[in-house]
Amino acid sequence: MEQWLDFAKGPLFTFAFLFMILGLFRHVVLQIYYLIVRKGKRLRNAPWKKIILDTLSWVVPVKHFIPGTAFFSSASFLSHIGVILVPVFLADHIVLWEGFLGLNLPSISSGFADVLTLFTIVCLIILFCCRLFVGRQRAMSGTMDYLILIMVFLPFASGFLASHPKMNPFSWDMMMLTHILSAEVLFIMIPFTKLAHIVLFFFDRISGLHWQLRPGAGDKVADALFGKEARV
Amino acid sequence: MDEVVEVLKPIVDEDNGNKTYPYYIENPVTENRVERFLEAFAAVLHFTDYKPLLDSYCTSNAKCNRCAVTCPVYLATGDPKDIPCYRTNLLLDVYKRYFTFSGWLNSRFSNGIDLTEEIIDEMLNLFYRCTACRRCTQECPMGVDHGLMTRLGRYVLSLIGIVPKALQVATREQLEGETRNTSKIPKIALMNTLEFLSDEIEESFGIRMDVPVDEYDREYVFFCAVSDYLMEPETLMGNAVVLYAAGDWDKWTIGGNDFDGINYGLFYSDWHLENIIKQLVHEVTRLGGKKILIGECGHASRSAHDFVPVFAGKETYPVLNFMEYTLDCIEKGKIKLNPNIITERVTYHDPCNISRSGWIVEQPRKIIRSFIKDFVEMEPHGKNNYCCGGGGGLVSVDEIYDFRMNIGGKMKADQIRETGAQIVISPCANCKKQLKELVEFYELPCKVMGLHDLILKAIEIPGAKSAEERKEEAAMFEM
Repeated sequence: MEQWLDFAKGPLFTFAFLFMILGLFRHVVLQIYYLIVRKGKRLRNAPWKKIILDTLSWVVPVKHFIPGTAFFSSASFLSHIGVILVPVFLADHIVLWEGFLGLNLPSISSGFADVLTLFTIVCLIILFCCRLFVGRQRAMSGTMDYLILIMVFLPFASGFLASHPKMNPFSWDMMMLTHILSAEVLFIMIPFTKLAHIVLFFFDRISGLHWQLRPGAGDKVADALFGKEARV
Repeated sequence: MDEVVEVLKPIVDEDNGNKTYPYYIENPVTENRVERFLEAFAAVLHFTDYKPLLDSYCTSNAKCNRCAVTCPVYLATGDPKDIPCYRTNLLLDVYKRYFTFSGWLNSRFSNGIDLTEEIIDEMLNLFYRCTACRRCTQECPMGVDHGLMTRLGRYVLSLIGIVPKALQVATREQLEGETRNTSKIPKIALMNTLEFLSDEIEESFGIRMDVPVDEYDREYVFFCAVSDYLMEPETLMGNAVVLYAAGDWDKWTIGGNDFDGINYGLFYSDWHLENIIKQLVHEVTRLGGKKILIGECGHASRSAHDFVPVFAGKETYPVLNFMEYTLDCIEKGKIKLNPNIITERVTYHDPCNISRSGWIVEQPRKIIRSFIKDFVEMEPHGKNNYCCGGGGGLVSVDEIYDFRMNIGGKMKADQIRETGAQIVISPCANCKKQLKELVEFYELPCKVMGLHDLILKAIEIPGAKSAEERKEEAAMFEM
């Protein structure tokens, strides 16, 4: 078990983490490449101020609190707090970052981390239940929508149990291995799933730029499909 | 004359009574639609810039369903297929399956989603159940622009011949017809109409104003929805008297070759959008105009305002909506409106095309508050308004009247009823037509007017009959 843990913490973690970083980096590079190469000068015409204000309005989405989705939206927003803070700033993780990246980050207290973790778990359960029990959400939900919630839930739940031996029905090694492996699976899945909104969040929001259509493209599409025939 | 057939007859689902509403299509394609759709989609992806956005949406689309509660169509039907995200995913699934590596890989391991005739039927129905109001877009946490996706879906469909006949016939006349406008109004009929409008103004104000046509080197070249020349003379007279009262009578003109601001390309086709914009810009250049002034029309304003800079190249011109011009005149004290003329309770409908972006929201309200005492807002309003139900070109598709009344416009009818207003101001030709039909359909106790219809009643022009006099004369005439 000890060797498994070392393997999971060492090479496997390095692989999963780099995989996630490279995967996300690929998204960013492709998006920027397309924007610069294909949009060119039209980048200047985009409503940048509106795009940036809109993006910022979602950082603290108070004005997006709309009737009908209050429960789901609150759980969704609040879960992000724990999902961002705990993995990065938990004292045990800080050691990891220091060894791996050489970063010396400030840490949050373990008590606060516990509260955030439980809070996040509750939010994730609410999100899961919303998908299960709200008809319109169920209608739109696919396997991955549920799986992703479970994939995020697992490292939080296992991490909490591993750090609270009295509540842990299994051995510490077992729980820690589950914690690390589930986190690594999550890392690997991030670039392929909607969790990639970590970086695509901004690129999704620039539809104002994409309304700057390419001059002459309509002609080329019509030429390719119909030759020079009438196209109206 | 092309053969016109009904592609889909109205179908009533026996289980839940839901209807699918069809529209007429010229020469509908019946064979190889799947292959042709994919071919058209491939061409669009190759030559346009939609690919990065589709990649981004495909990966991070959260399917959180917040859009559902913002969509007036879904709120009216409760059918999951009317959820904006569902509609967008129809297109995204096809893109992912056929144009991405992960989609291809997925299809090797499972049957996954294949494009079928049934999915194309679903697309041609659902993409035209959306009014492209983009209310959902502003509440999507991922920023997915469902309006843009619906438009892209319609564009690809149009390339395989699936587009409502009403839109296709109108744009064909505008781009290739003799009259160069969507309502097929010849120039001689335009001149007669303008003559009639001048006569009406003279009779009402006691001042002759001959509307300038084809005048060169004027500051403003005026375009409105061409249907206004037939349907909304009072709006046009309102526009004219504001220009006259502001002392700008010799600074504007209407183009005799192209006087139509309508651009249905905004709703379904990049090619049409671009060419109609170029035609409009060409007319301004021919006349040596300096600015484009768009009358009371939402989509004409948006298409010119947003796409003249994109497609006009170096020939670009500033675009003004008429309400911006009027507000400027009021603020500079160039025109005076009598606050005692309009005594009815008034509400204002925000046309989505000019309000959703926040462009024209406060201007009309400032104008209204300057001369109307009993003004009530609909809730919600402004950037967050509900569509009238006729957006995205649907109002021109007469055969989906049932859909527009019972589903698309239901929320708007409820909103209007709640205000208790006697006059609904709607500064948009499309919204006006839809709202007038809604008022009749739901028997709402109000009338629908343009903002400049009311300005026409309340404006005071030195040397002309006063607003009070005109009101009395109009009352006597009505008796």
